[in-house]
Amino acid sequence: MSSNLKITEKRPWLAWVLFFATIVVVFLLGLLASSIVERRMEATFVNVPKAKIEEFEPRNEVWGQNYPRQFQSYYGTADTTFRSKYGGSATVDMLEEIPEMVVLWAGYAFSRDYKQGRGHYYAITDVNNSLRTGGPLKPDEGLQPSTCWTCKSPDVPRMMKQEGVAAFYTGAWARLGSEIVNPIGCADCHDETTMNLRISRPALVEAFERRGRDITKASYQEMRSLVCAQCHVEYYFNKKVVEGANYLTFPWDNGFTAEAMEEYYDDIEFSDWTHAVSKAPMLKAQHPDYEVYMTGIHARRGVACADCHMPYISEGGQKFTDHKMQSPLNNIANSCQVCHREEATRLVQDVYERQDKVIESRHDLEKQLVRAHVEAKKAWELGATEEQMKSILMGIRHAQWRWDYVAASHGGSFHSPVESARTVANGISIIQDTRILLARLLAHLGHNEPVPYPDISTKAKAQEFIGLDMKSLREEKQEFKKTVLPKWTEEAEKREAAWSVSLTN
Amino acid sequence: MFVTAILIGLTLLTIYMSKAHSYLSDKPETCINCHIMAPQYATWGHSSHREWTNCNDCHVPHNNIFNTYYFKAMDGLRHATVFTLRREPQVIFIKKQGSKAVHQNCIRCHSALLIDPKLSSWTEDHDGHRTGRKCWECHREVPHGRVNSLSSVPDARVPHPSNPVPEWLRNYLKN
Repeated sequence: MSSNLKITEKRPWLAWVLFFATIVVVFLLGLLASSIVERRMEATFVNVPKAKIEEFEPRNEVWGQNYPRQFQSYYGTADTTFRSKYGGSATVDMLEEIPEMVVLWAGYAFSRDYKQGRGHYYAITDVNNSLRTGGPLKPDEGLQPSTCWTCKSPDVPRMMKQEGVAAFYTGAWARLGSEIVNPIGCADCHDETTMNLRISRPALVEAFERRGRDITKASYQEMRSLVCAQCHVEYYFNKKVVEGANYLTFPWDNGFTAEAMEEYYDDIEFSDWTHAVSKAPMLKAQHPDYEVYMTGIHARRGVACADCHMPYISEGGQKFTDHKMQSPLNNIANSCQVCHREEATRLVQDVYERQDKVIESRHDLEKQLVRAHVEAKKAWELGATEEQMKSILMGIRHAQWRWDYVAASHGGSFHSPVESARTVANGISIIQDTRILLARLLAHLGHNEPVPYPDISTKAKAQEFIGLDMKSLREEKQEFKKTVLPKWTEEAEKREAAWSVSLTN
Repeated sequence: MFVTAILIGLTLLTIYMSKAHSYLSDKPETCINCHIMAPQYATWGHSSHREWTNCNDCHVPHNNIFNTYYFKAMDGLRHATVFTLRREPQVIFIKKQGSKAVHQNCIRCHSALLIDPKLSSWTEDHDGHRTGRKCWECHREVPHGRVNSLSSVPDARVPHPSNPVPEWLRNYLKN
């Protein structure tokens, strides 16, 4: 210090130079430090989601604020213009296409109304408009249980958390009408903080547990199918788990094939309904998409549902998962052709060829089943005993279960053509044996000639044949849509308006 | 005295804020101290190379230790300058020196594969190409994929440096 002072005493201007130079250096260094601070802070804000997504947030629009690309592509499921040979996103009245189905489901709500499903966007609209849910005017009315909502909405995990799982499965469908309003979306498959795939439905977790597997140990690639398997599976309502509850259960304990599930159902003597024509104790297959898929070659090679139904796309230099779940036939370039270097037309031909061949035998089985039902009816009319009918009715149950396993599985005839064809073939074999028994019984009862095939050339004729009063069913639905539905919407809007969305910065 | 203390203090702050000490390591997280490198980190993190390599294994020469640190220092200083002055381009391309280093590193690890006579018989003119061209002219997706602008992976979860203000101070300021 002292030597410095001596120098500056001799040359006072040097002190000023040092003074100003220091100001400049500190100023510049400060600027540098501030720039570094600023850029460092940027990292804590860069790509941070805008809205804070609360646990069980059911509104897809709120998630959409943070993930606009995924959200906008999800909205693509509102598109109903694509129609392939047997599938697509357009509404197709399946009962009109195949009136035999009306007879096969006589006595069950499916004979009233069965349309090919549209995209996820319409999950709520379509279930409200289906004649299968009827026209309940009060919360405890109607023929369907509250369990029917389970696959329709991200409001479901929210309500399950609020009420408890068994309580959610208890009561009538109309009970939850005002609570479940957002169509299948983000919260059904994603964790709200990490966006990791997440299983939100207990039935899948429980089915895995019964098979001795811990679903939390599933790999990422498995999860890209398992989130779909929360809903696209065969299920039934088990009334024996909790008193009064229609507990959603997957019949997977013995395996995924039609035979394995049939064994499961036979062991617990379960039937979905008693057939109105033949009085057989029937099983209804509910879209065993995942199960059939798992028996196919694509599953064997480790391809997940999302690989074809939600392929990666690039938009403005950004790669992300296309959340427009749809038929890959509407997006061959990003799905099939990622692995198969063939012409698109050739690939479509390959798909249709497999579907055509399976459906050819399936239609044959359909007609045989209708014949068996009307022949069984004739046998009852001629005074057959329950003892005489027992094995015949079981034959009808088993054959139709196989038919439904294939018919109800979306895309099953492509997902696993060999398994689908095998299952239909077994169905044909069973129904033939059953019809031989029926022919013997009818002859024994004094009727030794063919039972005429009913005129079921249209949906209306088939519904008339099984004695459905479609006019009153439609009126009942209209009344429901006029009086109840607007109230549900109003209540839901009021509730959601009270939920604020906080911003993260 | 005071002036020197201020200078030292500011320098320490700069070192702390820029995490200068982390540059001595080989951790890939260091390279996303600058958040603009997130796409490179994310794409590497989804590639098979993440199992065996970190950024420096490929992007810094390994012919001798002096060259390694010389290259690292020069490259690091250039990056720091560009980042601090906000001169980064929207799409980052590798420079001549860098691409030379990467190419040599491809060879360093994959040499056994490159001289395998089977490869020459399978791949047409592999010999010619591997001497006359850069590996990634053909192996274009290795390892960062093809989409690489600063905004190409907005949703990728990468370990960005956390908020530099300590937790206790933030809590104190909040209250």
